[in-house]
Amino acid sequence: MLELTNLESGYELLQVLWGVSLRVDEGEFVALLGPNGAGKTTTLRTIAGFLSPIRGDVTFQGRSIGDAAPSAVSRMGIGFVSETLNLFPAMTVHENLLVGAYAVKDKRQIAATRDLVFELFPRLHERRDQLAGTLSGGERKMLAIGRGLMPSPSLLLVDEPSLGLAPMATLATFAALKALRERGVTILLVEQNVNTTLHLVDRAYVLEQGRIVLEGTGTELLGNSHVQEAYLGI
Amino acid sequence: MTTATNLRTVPLVRRYLTFTWLVLGLAVLIMIVAAIAQPSIVVDTLVTGGMWALLAGGLALIFGVMNIPNFAHGELFLIGSLVGFTVFSPIQDAILENPDAALLKVVGPFPGMIAAALVGAAVGVGLEVLLFRPLRKRSRDQWVMNTFLLTAGVSVLLVNMDRLVIGNDFRGITRYWDVPPIRLLDVSISVDRAMVFIIALITIALFSLFLQRTRVGRAMRAVAQDEAGAQMAGIDLKRIFMLTIGLSSGLASLAGAALLFMFPSYPDVGLQPLYLAWYVVILAGLGNVQGAIAGAFIVSLLQTLTVFYVGVGWVDVLPTGFIILILLFKPSGLFGSAVKGIWEQ
Repeated sequence: MLELTNLESGYELLQVLWGVSLRVDEGEFVALLGPNGAGKTTTLRTIAGFLSPIRGDVTFQGRSIGDAAPSAVSRMGIGFVSETLNLFPAMTVHENLLVGAYAVKDKRQIAATRDLVFELFPRLHERRDQLAGTLSGGERKMLAIGRGLMPSPSLLLVDEPSLGLAPMATLATFAALKALRERGVTILLVEQNVNTTLHLVDRAYVLEQGRIVLEGTGTELLGNSHVQEAYLGI
Repeated sequence: MTTATNLRTVPLVRRYLTFTWLVLGLAVLIMIVAAIAQPSIVVDTLVTGGMWALLAGGLALIFGVMNIPNFAHGELFLIGSLVGFTVFSPIQDAILENPDAALLKVVGPFPGMIAAALVGAAVGVGLEVLLFRPLRKRSRDQWVMNTFLLTAGVSVLLVNMDRLVIGNDFRGITRYWDVPPIRLLDVSISVDRAMVFIIALITIALFSLFLQRTRVGRAMRAVAQDEAGAQMAGIDLKRIFMLTIGLSSGLASLAGAALLFMFPSYPDVGLQPLYLAWYVVILAGLGNVQGAIAGAFIVSLLQTLTVFYVGVGWVDVLPTGFIILILLFKPSGLFGSAVKGIWEQ
């Protein structure tokens, strides 16, 4: 479904990715793990269209999307939940969701997806008419994921949902991702919370210094000595 | 930790006795007193306030959504007055030739105003395509400063083009509607002023409704609050920017045409409206459209009071002084920090 081939990308004076190749198949839950500064966020930002590849390519459903604008990528069916969330603070929870559904024309479909989001995150339903800027950190994450779901994307990119969250809120967020996956949404998750993530996902890639160093199923990586040493502290 | 309980625990007095509400309450109080003592103050405030609201609302919109401090906003007022004059002149002649054509008398002024709004919107879109889009592509560093200089340059260019091509003289009309004034609350109001107020009211209502209730209006507010977030939702920035600048410019031109009987068209006509719109936007808090609409009426009240009790010569001095005073107490503007403080960037 999504394929990166020898992707090199980065910022004006700083190349971050040095040939990243990875693949996400339909219905899969894949994680991208690695230390700070490895290039995980850069990878997602490049897929989402906020950065253009220097070399290499990104293909989605057989089409090259390397040079597509972020709004075009979103309309092709790739949802992006960024690390900074990028919510609309002066809008209510409900309005944030409606903006998320900007590209959807069918009113009934919008209402149905909104109900699904509220079912997934009952907290958002309680906070429906509250301004997004007044939500707690965990609620904001839920709203960002909910907004990302509004156009019913076929692939959801999620950047560090556990960042800055209390353990309980982290568990709730992971539970929501698991529920999404069971509903057939393909997910590419970036995380630093290695242990929990590897128990949750189908496959994972380990990214270090802009290169993929390891690849395998969750169980395989849990048993890998490098992962155990560098990320699990065993 | 819900907001509802938070609100309940804050004493009522402290919740409502904020500086903003104090200023708003004072303004309403003055209006009520004036309605009894000197009703024409209320009329003047509402008529000019409505038009400043069109100008300032557009200025706040373009700053909020595109981060452009538009110093060419006054020239869109100028373009509006010019188009309004050009379209209305032949209609006025036709009215003079057929004094019995009632329908022409009533509807006659509208084509000029509509044409002004459309031409203004087109000029705005032209500015976006020819100037702002290429600049945005090149670099967004120092964007606010660069666009300020760019719009200031456009302003000088348009004023002098008007001087060169159209000429350095006044093109105005005495009135749009050649009918006797209405008497209301012992004040005689010319139909032109009443109509200007109604036009402003309808336009502001439609404008607010568009921003608050429609899909595209919501997208515009989304772009203003978080550009990246808006793109993630599939919103095409290019289209929203064109729409924003078109709407903002169209409103300014509509104001120029509607006020033609008060401000005849000449090269510098945009200067005073530009300054006024900026006073209002700074008073309300940069980029806050609803605040700008409320602020327009406050500024217009200050102006009217100055004209009435101090003298026409002070009409720019005293309101500006008051605005500086208000900003001393609330530097972010009257409606500036409603959300910003809560949202840690």
